[in-house]
Amino acid sequence: MKISNILKPFKTVGKFLVEKPLTFHFPPESPVFTERFRGRHIYHPELCIECKLCGTVCPNNAIDFLFEKDEKGLVHFRTQVDYAKCCFCGLCEDICPTKALEMTNFPFLVAMDKKELYYGWKKLSEKPSLTLPSIKEKKGLIPWARARSFWVINYFTGCCFIEAVPWVASSFDMERFGLLATASPRHSDVLLIGGYVTTKTLKRIIRIYSQMPKPKFVLVLGNCPMTGGTYWDSYNTIKELDKYIPVDLWIAGCPPRVENVGYAVVLAIWAVQHGYTGKEEYVNIEHGKYALPYVVPKIDRDYNIVEFGPQHPASGNFNMFLKLKGERVVEATPNVGYLHRGFEKLMEYRTWYQNIMIVQRVCVLDGASYELAYVGAAEKIAGLEVPERAKYLRVIQAELSRIQSHLLNLGLLASSAGFDTITRITWGDRDKILYLLEYMSRGRVYQIYNIPGGVRYDVPLDFVDKAFEVVKYMEKRLKIYDDLLFNNQVFIDRTKNIGKLPKEMAIELDVTGPNMRASGIDFDVRRNIPYEAYKDLDFKVQVLQDGDVYSRALCRRREIEESLHIIKQAIDKMPKGPIAERKMSRGGYFSFMSSIPAGEAIHCVESARGELCFHIVSTGGVKPYRVKIRGPTFDTILVALPKLLKGVQVADVPVIYWSLDNCPADHDR
Amino acid sequence: MEIENLLKNLVEHFNAKISIGKDRNFVLAKVDKSSYVNVAEFLFKEGFRRLLTVSAIDWLSRNVIEIYFITYNHVMNVYVKVSTEISRDSPEIPSLSSIWENAAMHEREVWELFGVSFIGNKMLKPLFLEDWKGPPPFRKDFDWREYVAKEYGLKYPPVPKTVYQ
Repeated sequence: MKISNILKPFKTVGKFLVEKPLTFHFPPESPVFTERFRGRHIYHPELCIECKLCGTVCPNNAIDFLFEKDEKGLVHFRTQVDYAKCCFCGLCEDICPTKALEMTNFPFLVAMDKKELYYGWKKLSEKPSLTLPSIKEKKGLIPWARARSFWVINYFTGCCFIEAVPWVASSFDMERFGLLATASPRHSDVLLIGGYVTTKTLKRIIRIYSQMPKPKFVLVLGNCPMTGGTYWDSYNTIKELDKYIPVDLWIAGCPPRVENVGYAVVLAIWAVQHGYTGKEEYVNIEHGKYALPYVVPKIDRDYNIVEFGPQHPASGNFNMFLKLKGERVVEATPNVGYLHRGFEKLMEYRTWYQNIMIVQRVCVLDGASYELAYVGAAEKIAGLEVPERAKYLRVIQAELSRIQSHLLNLGLLASSAGFDTITRITWGDRDKILYLLEYMSRGRVYQIYNIPGGVRYDVPLDFVDKAFEVVKYMEKRLKIYDDLLFNNQVFIDRTKNIGKLPKEMAIELDVTGPNMRASGIDFDVRRNIPYEAYKDLDFKVQVLQDGDVYSRALCRRREIEESLHIIKQAIDKMPKGPIAERKMSRGGYFSFMSSIPAGEAIHCVESARGELCFHIVSTGGVKPYRVKIRGPTFDTILVALPKLLKGVQVADVPVIYWSLDNCPADHDR
Repeated sequence: MEIENLLKNLVEHFNAKISIGKDRNFVLAKVDKSSYVNVAEFLFKEGFRRLLTVSAIDWLSRNVIEIYFITYNHVMNVYVKVSTEISRDSPEIPSLSSIWENAAMHEREVWELFGVSFIGNKMLKPLFLEDWKGPPPFRKDFDWREYVAKEYGLKYPPVPKTVYQ
């Protein structure tokens, strides 16, 4: 133990007092990079040529057409968009031959009635503008106090929750609105539903809703609970949430941008301040179909059964039964499926091109890797040669995505170990990376950047400067993480020698990625089986020997540094040239509706959580015949985690769990 | 052992049909149902210590289910996919859980989603779904769009909706 390790964190935190704050203004004055964001459309009726291509390519059936007679009796063709369905992938904009349908960077789409989100052609052709209600005026003390102290229950139901994360962090800081995340349903006012709701999750949501005290408000993020959204044909997600519980505010987007969530909060504060006390309460369990299964509690003198998750601040939408003897875990049984959408079969229903907008939604935390794995497998079957420039752009996107994923995980790990400051700082820094990703690919969380054969857009000219700025900033911040976390004696003592994963076990249970490298196995798909431009780039594979929680965290921190190094090299080496190749070596051109010849391929990439493989079978149709996603967390969480938890203290469970970097959406698919 | 040797062994001893991916890292081998477990044992002894996945493909037109596993060898740096075909009406196959420990969980998933039973796997109980009463959801003859339309009362037209006023 070093005295400096105890004193240095204080010194570093002291420096924050004089630094410029990380927090963005709200309402947003002029957000840094948002001009390229894919937000609401703008429709130019005079340019529309009645080709209906946008409606055909739309994966979510969000676009409708209208033949309208005007006063003179002339019939006009119009296009209309339903924002309760739209997933903002931009395929309609790509395919539109006359650019009659364009996307603006306007993200603010909130409504109390979801029918208001259906944009007729007149509303769609108006230029979007934002009017925020003034929340200064108030009517009575009680509504004012209620509006300024929303306690939000933290139940991370789906992928849209990722945009609630910046509000927890220092970048957006929800506490300036009086919002506070609470773990107990009995003390919370706001139920925030993030994204799609599976049948298994719905039962828990109904239970939580009925436990909350009155007045209760339900805010829904994303399109999936409104109409089914992206998962409109999935067998396991419910389509309209307001059939089961009342919903006060619908926040549209896929996922809704952070600023949009803030807009919704301002609207909610305004409404509650003016005396709104929520809709009439009802719960519809459809004759017991969505009631929680009644379990007779087993009484055992020796053991205690504790449920970890799904509604738990440190679990994600994941559940584990812990059998305890005193403070020690005797047995852990994961219970998964809260996010099961049947992804592999959903992809069989969509064309090869439409799948590029759905595939990154498997795991919201690191979408870029899923894009890469999917397009890589499709390219192998079709025989598409990717141009050099596109390969480098893909590497930059994948590495940026890896950094933000690792930052998110460092925050989660730190918060479960009791270091909330780090959580706020890393998640705040994560926003810088996200802005850069958005500037590059036009999508903030879901970039939808790759297509089989290349990438969709080239980067803007000043991207290089902005990227170097962010890389420099991150390099500086990593030193702060070292001072506050990795060289902090308290954190070292808290995480050393717990959750040890031996080398042999890591191989046999198929644990991959940073978790495996922290156990002393020198394997990285980027180096061993190079894909994209990785074989021309120089990077070290970070290997640590201990295999405990601390080395897994340290491995991620070192990988961030290595990724920054890769990004710098990739920007330097990136050649000029085309960004996409359409000609397939086995005949034909790859386009929006085209088919891919019969064949099968396996493509593996190194995602932030480990090795990710796509196995795709094509029978020569416009849709894949079978897609198998071998996610990195399936074995880690379902097989290895229960073994690691045997005999540990119950207080160490969240720390070990997050040190393995779980993404429940990935193993449930 | 070299890859060439390995392939030769697979062909000679197990009568496998082999095809190799373009980048030579991926070997696809088709074997008979009877030698499925033997191939797995052979590969495990040859240093294929990691099992990536066990999964299935439903070939509706031929009335078979293709069961396959993918495994990786650190030394040879090669992925091998071994597949076999079983009848679609009563799908049964011996389990690999005695060879690779994590196979049991993957087989549990296939059991739930494709309705294939694995002889010798003690873990076969629902994994993702709770109170699911329908057919195995990933079978090709279970049409999700039809099911969703019936279950949730939503109609989705195959072509975009057009309104005439």
